Amino acid sequence: MPIEVTGLNYSYKKGTPFEKKVLYDVNLQIEDGDIVGIIGPTQSGKTTLAQHFNALFIPQSGVVKVDGINTADKNADLVKLRHKVGYVFQNPDYQLFASSVGEDISFGPRNQGLPPGDVTARVNEAMAQVGLDYDTFYSRDIFALSGGQKRRTAIAGVLACKPKTLVLDDITAGLDPRGRDEILAVVKKLHSEKNITIIYISNSMDEVAELAERVIVIDQGRIAFNDLKINIFNKPEKLRDIGLELPELMALAIDLHQQGFNIDPALLKFDEILLSILDNLHDGQVRE
Amino acid sequence: MELTKNITLGVYLPGNTAVHRMDPRTKIIASTILIVILLLINSYQAYGYFLIFISVIISSAGIPPGYALRGLKPMLPVLVLMWVFQLFLHSSPDAEIIFSWWIFSATDAGLHLGNIITLRVLFLFTVTTILTLTTSIVSLTDGLESLLSPLKRIGLPTQELVMTMVIALRFVLILAEELDKIVKAQMARGVAFDRGNFIQKTRKIFPVFLPLFINAFRRAEDLIVAMESRSYTGGRGRTKMKTLHMGRVDIVCILIMLLFTGLMIFTIFA
Repeated sequence: MPIEVTGLNYSYKKGTPFEKKVLYDVNLQIEDGDIVGIIGPTQSGKTTLAQHFNALFIPQSGVVKVDGINTADKNADLVKLRHKVGYVFQNPDYQLFASSVGEDISFGPRNQGLPPGDVTARVNEAMAQVGLDYDTFYSRDIFALSGGQKRRTAIAGVLACKPKTLVLDDITAGLDPRGRDEILAVVKKLHSEKNITIIYISNSMDEVAELAERVIVIDQGRIAFNDLKINIFNKPEKLRDIGLELPELMALAIDLHQQGFNIDPALLKFDEILLSILDNLHDGQVRE
Repeated sequence: MELTKNITLGVYLPGNTAVHRMDPRTKIIASTILIVILLLINSYQAYGYFLIFISVIISSAGIPPGYALRGLKPMLPVLVLMWVFQLFLHSSPDAEIIFSWWIFSATDAGLHLGNIITLRVLFLFTVTTILTLTTSIVSLTDGLESLLSPLKRIGLPTQELVMTMVIALRFVLILAEELDKIVKAQMARGVAFDRGNFIQKTRKIFPVFLPLFINAFRRAEDLIVAMESRSYTGGRGRTKMKTLHMGRVDIVCILIMLLFTGLMIFTIFA
């Protein structure tokens, strides 16, 4: 399911006095099995770009090809395409509408016209993938869910369509740290176990550093960087110019390295950095 | 896909033209007079004059004509339906049948009535759109409130009424934005709103309106809290930061309106 974007431009309210250009000549490619972070300040065009991936937006100029299918093609089966590229929206309140969890999750498969038995199997599987217990939550009222449970229901509702690519649009916004960690764990598992291509949109550097291999940085509708995360986090000044900060722990590691501590500034994972700092502390104590 | 693109009602287009600078009371009264005129005239000649007058206002307010017309686009199906109904269902004894099919027959009187009513709705909408495009929400509120203030004496809560009306107007765009998000979330899960027959299409609407209503109520609650936390307690004892006053533009506008109204009265009786 590779996604190929070439020369994409988009303006909101085109042809009105309120016209505003949000995407400028965007080129990018996402391969099968990738786990890509899209990061940028608010209003930078992340969501508009990502909604081109499942043909919710059709390019005004340029080409978006998903699995070789041009989304602007009049004969393209966009409904089928949207089942392949699942999209979880920023705010679950816009997505959830049924009265119970199970009913909402089964919405996608029912739209695909599957027989009831298959629908139930899909719902069961999707709920297991996001860690919602079937018996406890199947008939639970949507309004009785916590923020984190709502997100998981929203993700399950998309997973039930069996997507090959999953676009996650700022899905941890407004969650407490624990709920956030749980959601991130679900995403990691989907990528490693089900080999689903993940496109993770966020404005949190920490989350993107934790999850993604490749990072696309968007600034005012243009791609500022599109590289492996190690190459991007090596340019903290440039990131700061855009208004993004390095992940906290990584900034600390670089700082300590510059002050002469024995810490590799290219470490990316939190645990590795923590261990390295602990090692240094330990060495110091021994010396004293 | 953008649902909000064609919505012009309740949108304010900032500018610094004479129409923008006018006192909101003048604009509201002028719009009301224009609406009354629209309801009274019924000759094509009069509508012709009206069209010229409206075009002059649109261009002097710096509104791109294409944008002024854009808001009419979503209304077209309703207008066509209305026109067809008038055409076939109007009957008068001395009307001449110009076209007939099965049990339906169209008369010249029906055609004329259909045309007039369609024109009327088109212009009504355009007049209101011009008013909201050139008047900010705040000055619209102030203007209406000031105009309705005599009614306070008979115990009408005018300030509250106006506030409600203006909020409703403002919510048109907000709800359209929400609708856009909900529709997209459902398209993402495989709903094809443009497929199927009439009944199938209608059925797809229900899952859209449920979250829309719920979110609207939630928004309304938030708005109440936001207003109360800024000490809004209704109209009583409320003062204005910017007081309204009429200037030279308003006098010019009143003169022009008088002339135009005179012309229209002339066409009605001529």
